[in-house]
Order: sequence, then C-alpha cells, then structure tokens
Amino acid sequence: MSLIERLTDEFARLPGIGRKTALRLTYHLLKVTSQEAHRLADAIVAASENVRPCETCGTFTEVSPCRICTNERRDRSIVCVVEEGPDVGAIEATGEYRGLYHVLGGRLSPLDGVGPAELNVNSLLDRVSGESPVREVVLATNPSVEGEATAMYLHRLLAPLGVRVTRIARGLPVGGDLEYADGVTIAEALQYRRDL
Amino acid sequence: MYLSSLRLTNFRNFADERLTIPREGVAIVGDNGQGKTNLLEAIYYLEIFRSFRGAPDDQLVRFGEDVCRVEGLVGGAGEARTIAAAYDRRARRKKVTVDGVEPDRIGDALGRVGVVMFSPADVALVSGSPAGRRRFLDIVLSLTERHYLEDLQRYRQILLQRNAVLRAGESTALVSAWNPGLVRAGSRVVAARLRWVRSRRDSFAARIREIANGSDAALEFDPSLPLDEEESGDDLDRVVATFESELARTADREQRRGATLVGPHRDDLRMRAASGGHGEWVDLRVYGSGGQQRTAAVALRMVEADTLRERLGSEPVILLDDVFAELDVGRSQRILRWVDREAPAQVIITAPKPADIELRGGALPVWSIRGGHVESL
Ligand SMILES: Nc1ncnc2c1ncn2[C@@H]1O[C@H](COP(=O)(O)OP(=O)(O)OP(=O)(O)O)[C@@H](O)[C@H]1O
Ligand SMILES: [Mg+2]
Ligand SMILES: [Zn+2]
Repeated sequence: MSLIERLTDEFARLPGIGRKTALRLTYHLLKVTSQEAHRLADAIVAASENVRPCETCGTFTEVSPCRICTNERRDRSIVCVVEEGPDVGAIEATGEYRGLYHVLGGRLSPLDGVGPAELNVNSLLDRVSGESPVREVVLATNPSVEGEATAMYLHRLLAPLGVRVTRIARGLPVGGDLEYADGVTIAEALQYRRDL
Repeated sequence: MYLSSLRLTNFRNFADERLTIPREGVAIVGDNGQGKTNLLEAIYYLEIFRSFRGAPDDQLVRFGEDVCRVEGLVGGAGEARTIAAAYDRRARRKKVTVDGVEPDRIGDALGRVGVVMFSPADVALVSGSPAGRRRFLDIVLSLTERHYLEDLQRYRQILLQRNAVLRAGESTALVSAWNPGLVRAGSRVVAARLRWVRSRRDSFAARIREIANGSDAALEFDPSLPLDEEESGDDLDRVVATFESELARTADREQRRGATLVGPHRDDLRMRAASGGHGEWVDLRVYGSGGQQRTAAVALRMVEADTLRERLGSEPVILLDDVFAELDVGRSQRILRWVDREAPAQVIITAPKPADIELRGGALPVWSIRGGHVESL
C-alpha cells in the first residue's frame, strides 16, 4: 500500500468522512510544510494519550477528576445527566448551570445493541447512593425517542434512592413556529405550560 | 386541483415524455403493457413520493438507466406550483422539490397535488390483510392531518426499539422505559384513525347504496385497543388510558412472545354488508362476493376523495385505472355518474378500449399510449 493510500484509509475511517473527502485531506496535507504536519500529528497523539474520561463524571479531561468536579464553587447537590461530552459544553456555554455533570456515553438503543451495561449507569447510581451530597438529578438526555426512554429508565432506578429526579423541559424551540411544530411537541409544550 | 403538464424521464417504460394535460382531464387508451398504469403511478408519485403499488423506487427507474424523474405543474386555488421527484438508483437517493426548493423533510411536501387513485388492485383493501388497510388509513391521514405522519413515524421507531428489548428478554424496567413514548405517539395515531372512521361512516354507507343500488354496508374501525367507537368525550385521553391499561394487562404475555401485542400496529378497518334475506351483517373481507368487495373498495376511495376535498378546499384530481374491467355495467355506470358529478374535478382515466369510457358526455379528449409514447387521437 502506498503512503497516500495509507493516509487516505486512516481519514476514511473517521466518522462523517467519505472516500472523497479523505482523499482531499490527504492531498492537502501533502502540500503543507513538514512543521505543520508534525503539529497536527503531535496534537492527535497528545490528545489521545492525555485526555481521559473523568473518573467521577465521565467528561473527557486532561486531569481526573475534571475541573468541574473539583471546582469548590460548584453546587454539589445537583447532577445533570447528559448523553455525550459535547452536551456538557453546550450547557456550560449558557452559563446558567452551577451544578455537576454525569456523562452517560450514549443512550439506550436496543436496535444498536446499547443497553444499560454499555452506558455509565452504575457509576451514576454510585454517585447518588449512600452518604451522597446529591439532592437532585436533572435528566438532560436528548428529547429524541431514545433519549426519552433513557430518561424514563434512569428515573425508575433513581427514584427509590430518595433523590429528586427532574427532566429538562421540552417544548417549542425559540424562534420556532407553532404552526409547523409536530403534534407531540405542541402537546408537551401545553402540558408543561407555566404561569406568567 | 389540476395537473396542467407532466414530464417523465426514465420513469418505468417512459424515456422522455412531455404531456400537456387538458383542464377537464383525458382518457388514455392502450393495449395491455403499454404504460397506462405506469403513467398514473408517475402522477401519484408526485403526491406521496412512492409507488402507489408499493413498488420499491429501484423498480421505477427505466431498465438500463440510473435516475428517474417526474415533474408536474399543478394548478389549484392558489398559484401554480412545480413539483418534481427524482430517484437515483445508484446513490439510493431521492430528491423532491417544490418550485425548485428541497423541503427539510420529504414528508413536508406530501399531498401537494391533491389526487385520488382508483385501481383494480384496490380490491385487496377489502379482501386482503389488515396491513393494506392500515396503509390506506396512514396515507389518507398523512395527507390530511397535519401531524399524523410525524406521530406515526415516532410510534414505529419506538415500537422497533421496544420489540428489540422484548426479543432480547430484558427486564420489565427496560421494557417499560419505552411505554410513555409508545403510548403518547401511538394514542395520537389511534385517535386520528378513530375520528376519521367516525366522520366517514355515513358517507361510506351512502356511497355503497349509490353504487350498488340500495345495498346496505358499514365501515367500522377495528382497533387493537378495546375502544368503544360510539363513546365520544375526549378521544385522546380515553385512548391513552386504554393503551396504558392494555400494556399493563399484556405485560406478561408480551415478555413470553417477545413483541408488543397491542397498539395501532394491530389496528384494522372492517367493512360489512347486509347479506340477502336474513338481515345478517357479514364481514366483506371473508364473505363478500368479488363484486361486493370491488364496490366497497371503490366506495372507500370515494370517501378518500371527500376527505381530500375538505382538506384542499377544492376537487382532487381523480385517477381511474381500468376500474371497470371487473364491475358489471350498472355499477360501472353509477361510478361514472359519480365522477361526472365531481366536475369540475380533473379526471384521468385509462382503459384498454375506447368503448369502455363514456364520460362527460364523451367530451373528454382521448389519447392513445403505446410502448411508453402518448399521442392524442
Ligand atoms: N423499470 C422499467 N423499465 C422499463 N419498462 C418497464 C419498467 N417497469 C415496467 N416496465 C414495463 O411497463 C409495462 C407495463 O406497463 P403498465 O403496467 O403501465 O401497463 P398497462 O398499460 O397498465 O397494461 P394493462 O392494461 O395490462 O394494465 C411492461 O411492459 C413492463 O415491462
Ligand atoms: Mg394497467
Ligand atoms: Zn468530572
């Protein structure tokens, strides 16, 4: 196998990258300086060797426990459960949330062979049981069919532990148009209506 | 609504045909296997972006070609719209556009033509399996109820996931995690079906009396959930409560059988008719004669036309594919009279011989079709 083929194959293995894009990336890199190529290669190796899931919450981090878990100013009585690492970034970006996180690493999807054993469920239960400071678990899985089922399942496991379990509100997207929202969304927006 | 022009490219046995369709419609005459049904299939493709015969898209592409395309100019109450649909067999990709713009989801572009298709294969709606009748309901309701399709798709996805859990023999905690979603989406589907049947029962019976010279018949919803059709009140709340209690009741059994046993995926429609003499009502699926079954199928399509007319605020285009082949003269005449009364609806009708069609006082233009080529006579 030629070096061009080898590199192209590696790119093509990445999610969302087809053969054509892989080839374009390869040819692009052939034109850059060796210094730039090393910078990319080093960044990949460094990230892969130094970034790990946080031993407490599962977020990718260079120091475990992560900076959020060790931050004294964060509210330790509340844990927000999300599907994937980037969801933490999305919530952090709002600046509205001061509690801790728990990353499941996916959502229940029996068709894809993903059950509770494939997710960080046990570590969540451990965080909440016993002498835990956690008073509330916010289930922030996606409002998809699978995300909803995952939230239902977790609710069932968490409720007997005496912790308050909440689900992020669903409803109409800001800037969305009532007329075009689907029936389930409208029904839920009505069901979770609030006083003004 | 009416179709003013149509262009077919590599669709079935059409290489490249451009047709200008008269406002009142057209009668298309041709021997067997020349493309009559294919032409109507193409028109209906612009309505639901699938074959009305349930053929996979691959089969619509002309032999030896990769991409088929249908484009139609549709006029109606508002301004004219161009609707186009193409399917690339190699890339397995479908592209739908309305006035050149691709909708976010293909489902958003459904029903833009406004068309009802009568086909000889419709007899299977009465004589065939429940799946065919659910498909009928799903198409009519997707075309006329704004959120039906989303609810249905969501329901199907949850059902697949839930059945996968059941098949794997997982704990009830894992199974029931899917229940709220299943009940929420499924109940909306059931309630829409229930409302549709309730609102169409009388007109179905009236259509049958009209075509079959006074015979009595009834259209009933036969839901998987034990719902009383007569009872009104809030349908959705009632369906939700029933769905929940039925899931609880069947929990053990579904664990053993490894599948969800109740819900809209098991609904059915029932058509019954008063059988001669004894005043008994029989299920047309089981006991109907061939003619009775065909009549009921035609009546069901007429009721579909009523539903579309109300949604569109104008007459749907009526496609009649060789429907009189197996009906007696009296019934055929009465169906034609219905079509005539539907004027100003555009009618596109096919038959093997010109003599079979005597519509609109013989005023409908006649075209001939041969080997995928259309010519006006
Ligand atoms: N993908 C395709 N490519 C080319 N030809 C096709 C394709 N699919 C079907 N055909 C041809 O189309 C013809 C059938 O056309 P169609 O079903 O429209 O006939 P018809 O005029 O309705 O006949 P009938 O009177 O028997 O119902 C057949 O000859 C078949 O071989
Ligand atoms: Mg035919
Ligand atoms: Zn952490």
